Amino acid sequence: MSTARFKGKWLPWLFLLPTLIILLVFLYYPVVQTFRLSFYRVAFLGLKTKFSGMENYLNLLHDTGYHQTIVSTVLVAMAVVIVGLGLSLLIAMIANQKIHGANIYRFLLIWPFALSPAVAGVVFLFMFSPGFGAVNYLTSVVTGHELNWLGEPKLAITLVIMASIWKNLGYNIVFYLAALQNVNTEVLEAASIDGANTWQRFWRVTFALLSPMTFFLLITNITYSFFDIFGMIDILTKGGPLDATNLMIYNLYRDAFEYYKTGLASAQSVILFLLVVGLTLIQFRTSGRQVYYGG
Amino acid sequence: MQTSFRRSLVLVALVMLVAVVVSACAATAPAGGTQTKVVEVTKVVEVTKIVKVQKQAEEVIPEGATVIDFWHAFGGGRKLLIERMVADYNYTHPGTYVHVENKGSYRDTLNAAILAAQQGNPPHIVQIFEIGSQLALDSGIFAPFEDSAPSWVHMDDLIGGVSNYYRFNGKFYSMPWNSSNPILYYNKDIFRAAGLDPENPPETFEEMLSACETIVSSGAAKNCISWPLHGWFFEQWMANMGAELADNGNGRDARATSVNLTSDAAKEIVTWWKEMYDKGYYAYSGKLEDWDGADAIFVSGQSAMEITSTSDVVNRQNDAAANGFELGTGYLPYPANSERMGVIVGGASMWMTAGHPDNEMKATADFITWFTNTENAIRWHKATGYFPIRKSSVTVLEGQDWFKRNPAYRAAFDQLLNTKDDNATRGAVIGAFPEVRTIIEQAVEKVLAGQTSVDDALAEAKTQADKAIVDYNKSVE
Repeated sequence: MSTARFKGKWLPWLFLLPTLIILLVFLYYPVVQTFRLSFYRVAFLGLKTKFSGMENYLNLLHDTGYHQTIVSTVLVAMAVVIVGLGLSLLIAMIANQKIHGANIYRFLLIWPFALSPAVAGVVFLFMFSPGFGAVNYLTSVVTGHELNWLGEPKLAITLVIMASIWKNLGYNIVFYLAALQNVNTEVLEAASIDGANTWQRFWRVTFALLSPMTFFLLITNITYSFFDIFGMIDILTKGGPLDATNLMIYNLYRDAFEYYKTGLASAQSVILFLLVVGLTLIQFRTSGRQVYYGG
Repeated sequence: MQTSFRRSLVLVALVMLVAVVVSACAATAPAGGTQTKVVEVTKVVEVTKIVKVQKQAEEVIPEGATVIDFWHAFGGGRKLLIERMVADYNYTHPGTYVHVENKGSYRDTLNAAILAAQQGNPPHIVQIFEIGSQLALDSGIFAPFEDSAPSWVHMDDLIGGVSNYYRFNGKFYSMPWNSSNPILYYNKDIFRAAGLDPENPPETFEEMLSACETIVSSGAAKNCISWPLHGWFFEQWMANMGAELADNGNGRDARATSVNLTSDAAKEIVTWWKEMYDKGYYAYSGKLEDWDGADAIFVSGQSAMEITSTSDVVNRQNDAAANGFELGTGYLPYPANSERMGVIVGGASMWMTAGHPDNEMKATADFITWFTNTENAIRWHKATGYFPIRKSSVTVLEGQDWFKRNPAYRAAFDQLLNTKDDNATRGAVIGAFPEVRTIIEQAVEKVLAGQTSVDDALAEAKTQADKAIVDYNKSVE
């Protein structure tokens, strides 16, 4: 097999240039600035800056509220990733059956992904609003009880998790469906002939063959649950009640854009960045090694 | 195998495309300030579309005109009204063209202005909410309005409450614009059903408790009263009792360094709030600063009363008509053992950014003066319920028997006029006010949830708020 080669050293860089410029302006430069500002005391989104060393990090280290924020963030991320991926795989397996109108079902299942987090948030807000929501209306008719979905810390965090899982179902299902359709039926047949039961065929064959996709989704879902959950929280709970849904991304938004503590927010941003990078590296070191990319 | 994989790739691509289109549509919808109701989302989107169409047809900047940029935080009907007023100005003032833009919420507008100033291209006029005044002063990007104002601005024509709030160290740094207070709205039909006098709403904390007992025990309404769990109401009650929120004369004699959250007045307010909540009289949506949630509880008849801004008079009248109940208005309740001192002006003012050429500064000040003149203050008041901010406007309105014909506006206005002027009712000036407000809200939230006692919650809040203020003061030194 021969590899195609570019003529000259600079040609590939030329092709990469448009992408690099965009990344430089919108990603790398802001990241560097964020790291820099985390060591400064900043007023008015950067109008005034003063070097303050590790002050921002020390403030966070001693802030018990922020510790709670980290714990909640990790718990929510675990729930969203594990339940979300499990549910998506289950639905994708069902949707992969050869039944009448399968394409319509598949399309409908993927639909939530096409909504922006803001729209999905408003839909859930309508349904779960304590005063006029459909969910409380139904539960009060059936059971005579109403739940304070937005006012009760545990319920509020459950609601955020449910909404976030629902919102990302479509995305996960699309990728799982694509992967499932690519599973070699000959291998499954062979397993049947060897006497494997349904569970064994799923776990030993299908799930193993899906591992590259699961690994990919694991990473994207972790990113989703750490960062993209922002829109959902902003619309549903605004971090409340009692800071129960005040996750890291929301806390840093509030500090940066509502309280004008840009330096402190930058430090939080750095911590969040390191946390996600760390988690991803661990993923590559551990589960990454179990991934089977085919022979 | 190969084809099926390719087909699913196409599927993935299609879904991505749909997602992009949908989110693009969502992005064009206005972010919505505090005033935009969730239930009105579709309506607002329609209105924005109409405005866009009109704008494309209208937006012809006359050649050689001085262009003035004006950023504000209003959505919905108020945005349309502002655009009509600006169009009137542009039509009658050849040589100047005011370009008006909505920048989302109050906070979004302020952030956008600061960022634009950093890049050397700030808008000429920015609407800034009242508690952002100290921030605006400290940012150093604004020029004092009074220095550029034309002689015919007549600042002494402003009504007392409004000028007392916005005059810092004897000077107007901005032009007061939309101004409001909290008042009591009540459902007269529920009052009648409960056997209460529909013309005499409760006035004190104690009367409120007994009226609530009657309303809830008679079954006339599920809850008695709602108001958003918002720091603004706490601040108003402090002022109403004559208690200053911050030290150094409420931050008006010198920069505030701490807040008086452990004072008797603060404890009395939160204790009453807690009692109202525990007895099932007070209801809120469970979310902080949720104006729409409180509105929904009152408008749907779940509660007999609501405390919210006077700027909602027009909205509440429309709601009452739509839901078929008779609306009454009254004063903000106060504890009987203290005198009723009055209320603080809330809302926003218009700030001019510094550093533009002289002709632009002059045109900017000219426009602001026109925008808040006698006739326009009347127009703004009638369409929204915000106060007519000029004495001359009040005279005209009285000549039209306006308050007699519209008693709902009367209560709001009398409450402001009867306010006794001191540092407490002028309102606190704190740099870190947005954060202090949230800290107070979270303290009340904790008390209502039964997590901590009133004393502990307020003591903890004071520690947090004082630290926020000290940190802020350090950052602007």
